[in-house]
Amino acid sequence: MTDPLYLFARVAGTPIAVRSEDVEAVVRFADISPVPGMPRHIAGLSALRSRVLTMIDIAALIDDRSASRLQGQLAIVADISGHSYGLIVESVSDICAVQQAPLPLHSPLSPAWAPFVQAIVENEGTAHLLVSLASFIDPALTAQAA
Amino acid sequence: MDELLGEFISETQETLEALAGVVVAWEADPSDRDRLDAIFRFFHTVKGSCGFLNLPRFERLSHAAEDVLSDVRADRRTADPATVSAVLAVMDRIGELAEAVASGASLANEDDDMLIAALRAVDAPPVVETPVAAAAPQRRENAAGGMRTIRLPLTLIDQLMNGVSDMVLARNELSRKLRERTSDPELDSAFERLSACVADMRDVISKTRMQRVDRLFAAVPRMVRDLCRDLGKRIELDMEGGDVEMDREMVEMVVDPLTHIVRNSIDHGIETPAERVQAGKPEAGLLRLVARQSGNQIVIEISDDGRGIDTARLVRKALESGAITADVAARMTEEERLDLIFHPGLSTAREVSAISGRGVGMDIVRANVERIGGVIAIDNRPGQGLSIILRVPLTLTIIPGLIVRAGGQQFAIPRAAIVEILHENNEMLSITRVGGACIATIRNIRHAMIELEDVLGLPRAEMHGPRTIMVVRSSSGIPFAMAVGSVDNHEELVIRPASPVVMMAGVYAGMTLPDNGRPMLLLDAAGLANAAGLSLAADNGGLAAPDHDRQAEAGPEMIRALRFRELGGEERLLRLSLVERVEDIDAARFGMSAGRAFVRVDDRLLWVANGHHRFDTDRVTALRLRDGDREICYPVGRVIDIVEMPTVPDMRLSDGPISGVTVIDGIHLEILDPFVLFAAMPHDPVRDDAPPRCVLAEGDDPWAREMLAPLLQQAGYDVVIGLPEDAPLRPDDVVVSVGSGATDCLPQSHPVVRLRSAPRPSGVNDPTIYRYDSAALMAAIETIRKDRAA
Repeated sequence: MTDPLYLFARVAGTPIAVRSEDVEAVVRFADISPVPGMPRHIAGLSALRSRVLTMIDIAALIDDRSASRLQGQLAIVADISGHSYGLIVESVSDICAVQQAPLPLHSPLSPAWAPFVQAIVENEGTAHLLVSLASFIDPALTAQAA
Repeated sequence: MDELLGEFISETQETLEALAGVVVAWEADPSDRDRLDAIFRFFHTVKGSCGFLNLPRFERLSHAAEDVLSDVRADRRTADPATVSAVLAVMDRIGELAEAVASGASLANEDDDMLIAALRAVDAPPVVETPVAAAAPQRRENAAGGMRTIRLPLTLIDQLMNGVSDMVLARNELSRKLRERTSDPELDSAFERLSACVADMRDVISKTRMQRVDRLFAAVPRMVRDLCRDLGKRIELDMEGGDVEMDREMVEMVVDPLTHIVRNSIDHGIETPAERVQAGKPEAGLLRLVARQSGNQIVIEISDDGRGIDTARLVRKALESGAITADVAARMTEEERLDLIFHPGLSTAREVSAISGRGVGMDIVRANVERIGGVIAIDNRPGQGLSIILRVPLTLTIIPGLIVRAGGQQFAIPRAAIVEILHENNEMLSITRVGGACIATIRNIRHAMIELEDVLGLPRAEMHGPRTIMVVRSSSGIPFAMAVGSVDNHEELVIRPASPVVMMAGVYAGMTLPDNGRPMLLLDAAGLANAAGLSLAADNGGLAAPDHDRQAEAGPEMIRALRFRELGGEERLLRLSLVERVEDIDAARFGMSAGRAFVRVDDRLLWVANGHHRFDTDRVTALRLRDGDREICYPVGRVIDIVEMPTVPDMRLSDGPISGVTVIDGIHLEILDPFVLFAAMPHDPVRDDAPPRCVLAEGDDPWAREMLAPLLQQAGYDVVIGLPEDAPLRPDDVVVSVGSGATDCLPQSHPVVRLRSAPRPSGVNDPTIYRYDSAALMAAIETIRKDRAA
């Protein structure tokens, strides 16, 4: 079996890893239409061709602030239970296979990250938090964090 | 999962679905060999396939059922209700097993033995007498295999649909870009072709989403049968219109409300045989399900001949639960009383039964129907029966919507939810603010009013001009007023579901992507009312009364209107008093001049109001409209009826020739605005495009008579030989003279084309034309005609 592929990115200054099979694309979005009445970390809606994506600012969720609607933000596009989402990240560094199995979490994480992190993935000497994209959508988890 | 196995499972599930009705029909008429054979074949096929696929449990079950059925076929036993129930139970089990195999779950084994024992048990008593098998009419159902079909995963069709949507967006963008540059006819026509292809493609793809209503009805016979047995009732089921097609998703959305209504009808509506006999009705109740298409709606009617709804009971219940006050109850009309059935938590069921009294009331049914843009209506005939009519849009995905602006953003709202639109400064409207609450009074009716920006938590954007107040019908049935910045547009919107986190806000019903590529949210009227804290009870006490008074004063003023179908297929209304006559006109009489369509009737030319001038048929039905002195022609597809329509439309619009929308017989019809129609027509009468006249001044000149006249006639001119003596020349007449002074009597201003017989001009200033130079001659005539026309 081949080694699992990961997408390495940075959110709120923290390196994260996402399983590549969860990722559909990484796209720079021109603009985001705001949606009134949303939790603070929901930036709004964006169109990717004829699809409409719900844009989620992960950093806003972690730092507990309002989502940013700047133009030209990078987002990970993912299909989660039949709906399309764009998860805004600061930067994307790499996509590569990692031989080593993910390491279990031993040291306690900051409570802001805790609900979303599954394990640690090492790449080029840096520890990345392995996050599940679906957990950023889960209302139970996001309500707790936000 | 193995591909073969997957195929087997889905085929089995599909056949089961189709057979459910057949089994019930077979029970009703055990002598029906066709149906028996169909069921037998099913078990036989299952048995055969599962030996091959190694599915021993399927095999045991189907084998046992097959044995019993083959006995029935051989007349060794009768198909009594017990047998049918046992067979049905086995079919259900096979369905469950198929489900389990498909999802990889496991299912307890021991029940199988019980089911098979049940089959055998009824086997035990020997058949005393075999009923004389009536010569069963040999009916062949599904005999003709019909079209060739293939099985496709739904996701593939959805992908295809998305692909086409992408194409439409790309096309729209291209069209915008093309408009920005100078037009190139070749490029334009290529683009037109592309557009047509994309449009066709979209139509075809949407057809793949259609499904016959049969699927919706498939589960009903079985349900009716089972419920009747449980409740000891007898019901005749009559289903019609199963071949009507509707959107696949729509079918899924309607299943639950339909099931609920049918259950209600059997449980509460139709009486027991004893009660029915007492009431002088036939022992067996009648339950009718009818589906039909009406415009872009599907109408599903569920009617029974049971006891109907006891509105007095409803009112008592509502009083007990405190939903309404005695004061309100006393003032309620019968209609309002009936409407209580949709009030949450009210049910007329005497006791909660396992069948329908499970807390899911008609309020949920209505909410579900309205969520998909449908309408539910009740026709109650106490003691005689009840009809419930569901009207749902043909597809879930495209609904007519209004685009409204609030707080600098645009939102869409389903047009069906809007009753009326007016500007803030309309004199029929007054807005009062009392203790934080806002009340809009429109023509003496008070509505609770909300500001869209406040509900959504948006800042109120600086706007020029007055704000717009919309009267919105919420699912609680009580309209409320909502103020928005403005109403920008109305268009057909392709609605897609929004993600759960967006739906959680409770005020959105979905989202849409308009041509400009900026996603837009569809507002949910009921959700907005909820979010704004408008409560039904308060509405009842405060607002029902004035509403009532108004009805007491007078019903809405009605006028007569012509209901017709446009050539494009839409049904519209037009004030009847403006229609002078309706007639069939030869399609050949229509034409186009100076970019405007006209028609020749009674030797006059009339402008055609809607621009149509080419038709597929030889004769065209046309309306002749008159505003007093001017007359215009309006070709239509078909005149449907003359109806009464309210003078004030249910919803006002000012969108081109449409002045509003009104509901006639439950269908939304657009009302044509005659003012706009006439205003858009040029004031001048149509320029007579009859062949222009050429007058030959010298009628007695042989060359003019024999050479020139035929030439001009051939070129399409009406030729008058000789100057008319009794009538003056028409200003657009072109006079042609061969040069012998006959034109002296004409006024100087009237231009004359002068011909000469010599090939060479007599001088530099000779204006005459050589008479055999036909090109110069025609050009001269044309020039004069153009000058005259201008």
